[in-house]
Amino acid sequence: MRTRIAGALGLAAVLALAGCGSSGTGEGGGQNASSGGGAVTLKMVAADYGSDPNAENAGAKFWKGIVDEFQAANPNIKIDVQVINWNDIDKQVATMVQNGQPPDILQTGGYSGFVQDGLLHKVDEILSPNVQQDLLTKFADFGKVDGVAYGIPFVSSARGLFYNKELFDKAGIAEPPKTWDELKAAAEKLKKSGVSQPFGLPLGQEEAQGESFLWFLGAGGGYKDASGKWAINSPQNIEAFTFMKGLVDAGLTTPNPGTKDRKTVWEDFAAGKVGMVNGGPMSIPIFDEGSVKDKYGVAPIAGKTGALDTTLGVMDWIMAFNKNNHPAEIKKFFDFFYTGNAVQKIVDNYKLLPVTKGGIEKLSGDEKLKPFLDGLPNASFYPFTDPKWPAVQDTIKQTIGGAVEDPAKVLGELQKTAETG
Amino acid sequence: MRHRSRGLRALEPLAWVGPAIVLIALVVLWPVVEMIRSSFLKISKFGVVQGGNGTANYDRLFAEPDFASIMGRTLIWVVAVVGLTVIISLALAQLFNQRFPGRKIARWALIAPWAASVLMTAIIFRWMLDPEVGVINMIRRDLGFLDALGGASADPLGQSATAMPWLIFVAVFVSVPFTTYALIAGLSTIPGDIYEAARMDGASKMRIYWAITFPLLRPALTVAALINVMNVFNNFPIIWAMTRGQPGYSTSTSTIFMYILKNRDIGESAAMSVVNFGMVIILTVVFLKVTRWRSEVA
Amino acid sequence: MAHSSPAPSRALPRLKSVVIAGSAYVIALIFLFPYVIMLLTAVRPQDTLREATYLPSAFEWSSLVEFWSGGLAGNLVVTLQVAAGSTLLVLLVALPAAYYTSRHNFRFRTGFLFLVLITQMFQPTAMLVGIYREFFQFGLVDTVWALILVNGGFNLAFAVWILNAYFSSIPRELEEAAFIDGNGRFGTLFRITLPLAMPGVVTALIFTFIAAWNEFAVALMLTTTPANQPLTVALNSYIGQYQVDWQGLFAGSVIATIPVIILFALIERKVVNGLTAGSIK
Repeated sequence: MRTRIAGALGLAAVLALAGCGSSGTGEGGGQNASSGGGAVTLKMVAADYGSDPNAENAGAKFWKGIVDEFQAANPNIKIDVQVINWNDIDKQVATMVQNGQPPDILQTGGYSGFVQDGLLHKVDEILSPNVQQDLLTKFADFGKVDGVAYGIPFVSSARGLFYNKELFDKAGIAEPPKTWDELKAAAEKLKKSGVSQPFGLPLGQEEAQGESFLWFLGAGGGYKDASGKWAINSPQNIEAFTFMKGLVDAGLTTPNPGTKDRKTVWEDFAAGKVGMVNGGPMSIPIFDEGSVKDKYGVAPIAGKTGALDTTLGVMDWIMAFNKNNHPAEIKKFFDFFYTGNAVQKIVDNYKLLPVTKGGIEKLSGDEKLKPFLDGLPNASFYPFTDPKWPAVQDTIKQTIGGAVEDPAKVLGELQKTAETG
Repeated sequence: MRHRSRGLRALEPLAWVGPAIVLIALVVLWPVVEMIRSSFLKISKFGVVQGGNGTANYDRLFAEPDFASIMGRTLIWVVAVVGLTVIISLALAQLFNQRFPGRKIARWALIAPWAASVLMTAIIFRWMLDPEVGVINMIRRDLGFLDALGGASADPLGQSATAMPWLIFVAVFVSVPFTTYALIAGLSTIPGDIYEAARMDGASKMRIYWAITFPLLRPALTVAALINVMNVFNNFPIIWAMTRGQPGYSTSTSTIFMYILKNRDIGESAAMSVVNFGMVIILTVVFLKVTRWRSEVA
Repeated sequence: MAHSSPAPSRALPRLKSVVIAGSAYVIALIFLFPYVIMLLTAVRPQDTLREATYLPSAFEWSSLVEFWSGGLAGNLVVTLQVAAGSTLLVLLVALPAAYYTSRHNFRFRTGFLFLVLITQMFQPTAMLVGIYREFFQFGLVDTVWALILVNGGFNLAFAVWILNAYFSSIPRELEEAAFIDGNGRFGTLFRITLPLAMPGVVTALIFTFIAAWNEFAVALMLTTTPANQPLTVALNSYIGQYQVDWQGLFAGSVIATIPVIILFALIERKVVNGLTAGSIK
């Protein structure tokens, strides 16, 4: 396979083999001991939830703790973890896959792209039934493609409205807004009291698809309609952006929201320059580092006629590649992970939310997380099981910010992209 | 005997030039072939080749609603950045070639944007243009050009009309040091007695510059400008770090667009690379024609 | 470079030199300004980063210290190896090619120069996947060697080109005279031609070194183990999913920039010395 011809023409061949030869052909078997009791090394790639590689909560440290514990109990299985930061992980994994060297276990933001290429183990092969049943149904269902589960929800997150109590007091606002009208009124008061960004609105490349979705939900819209058809330019969605346009035009938001990233807006909220912003549990530690610490509250997201009873659920995934064919060993590790205290550690370290019923129960006492946990079972999701979603999402990230200038036109173009894509 | 020595002589150039050819073929040409080939393939998001795709990648690329404006902007971007860089560098090379106390240290300062990573320079400029805390905005405010921080008027990168000039500024900022230095090196090869002769003839400063310095600088200038054309054309970190081509695609050049497409469709992105490459070739040929490169550099 | 421009005569009005020096200083400051801000941001305490003040209210030097304790010093060494290695490679390969091309009219000379020109048009950013696949087949992924080869390859064109230009600008008669004086072919090359081409050599050298020092896209793709990553890539990990460690990022960038400026300062003096001692007149 490594002849020169393969070099010139052969990615297709290499990948086709890697992809189609799913189970049993044992292509990669040469590098591993046979299943007859020798030690097996599982290569794992995981995303770094920590703030940086030197931080106390660095992903590498976290996984080392988990893996050490697992290996002590399972001396025959060695797990080699490579932690990659979120900016690079997709690219690096893509490269590994392109070279026919996927990891055995991958923990990252999506799984569906690999299913198409036939690279993944089915969940039934790598996770015990009792663990599968403990997963939140609505979440686990999204791990299925054509009725077969490939992705295992790993952790989740939800969104809520963060507001700066101090700025609210100064502006004379009694409580966080529940409706859009209240939101606009509050923003106007904040503006009058000298807040430069009454509502933090990040519609730039980083996270535009999330912010937009929250507003769609507020008007009863979404990326798809109830029948599962793309509905990006639905009347509800246009209404949502028309309302946002009003906010932007009145100078009540982050300036030029179509170019602003969530990170920056959160930094501004943490510094007390933003009155309200949509955020998640993961923003709590960031806000706690800033001057806004102890001065902010969390509320359900405001909708057109009332506070939302749903939230944007986002989940990350863990999955297993079938190339090296070690389902039994992988199963041991996954079962260990989901039944042990690992998930609890993630929640503590990173303010992410669990995806198991058991995990949510354990957390029910946490006041700060309550608004998010309440919304979780009824969460709404991106249509990420649609194979077109990655490309559509990418286009949304680039262009949807323009919808605060011309809602119908920009959303219409996105709809066209999604339909033809 | 004679036959063999002729054979050896024919091989002589290979001994001198061969290693360069091998390195170029290995590191540069191989991936290029790969790129051209990919532009005719259907490739999944994770790089799995799903078969040939004819010219479909190109058809889709040319049908992108923003394609024409992106190509136009790319041309303006290259011409503006290179033109400004050359003009500014010519002036700076003269200035920094004068003798004055502390010249050495001033020249070191000049090199900073070149020494620093372009990516980091772009990131720091975005930081300095931040609407809330950007130091450039603070200076603008204190000079009375800006009413308050935090609003749309303190956000030059948020609108393409104000973002493009800043992007061009940063591109010029990082291109000037190399160009200036190349020109200073060029100036240093001009023998001093030529000037003395000219001065004795009573020629004016400007005349000396245009009649002597500039023509002698042309080889260095041509090389430097051509390098700039290609670097600027392919420049990716500045726009990527400062605006990501946003709002929409309104600050995207073809290289940025290629990178954006890479996340969606590797085949279409490869097609963009190939088109990009074709455009660089055309630009280069035009440039060489205009500057009569052959007679001066080769 | 003493005699490189119209030498300012002693009668030159004083005002003029003041203006020249003054404007040069101002321009130098403009070019330094972003990096001063970088340094100031690196030492600004985290919770005051979003305060609109020119100077930090307090100086927190920890980010500069953490750079060394956090393992990034190792990445700095990798960067140094890559930059030095590719510079050496480029000089070894480009010097003979450029010299020969400027002095001999061999059969594929035009073809070679065209190849060089074409190479110059490519930036590795445009063909990352192809590069990765190739080095994967060589078994060089995640090694310093791959980065040296790539950086060498992509900077070779410029070096050949500028050296060719400089060699061509040196009159053949000079060499012939030296040759007749009894210097051998190589003696002529090293004693006469190379010193004359020094500005070109140094420019090519610095260009390669700096380009390799700051290269990012290829290294990001080719290196996976944190310890094998050059500094540019290692710094990237300061940009987290929800948060950016601005101090760490900027501190690392400042630290990464300083060695290059120092190197340049050292080399520039050499060039100037070489020229004043030199043989241009």
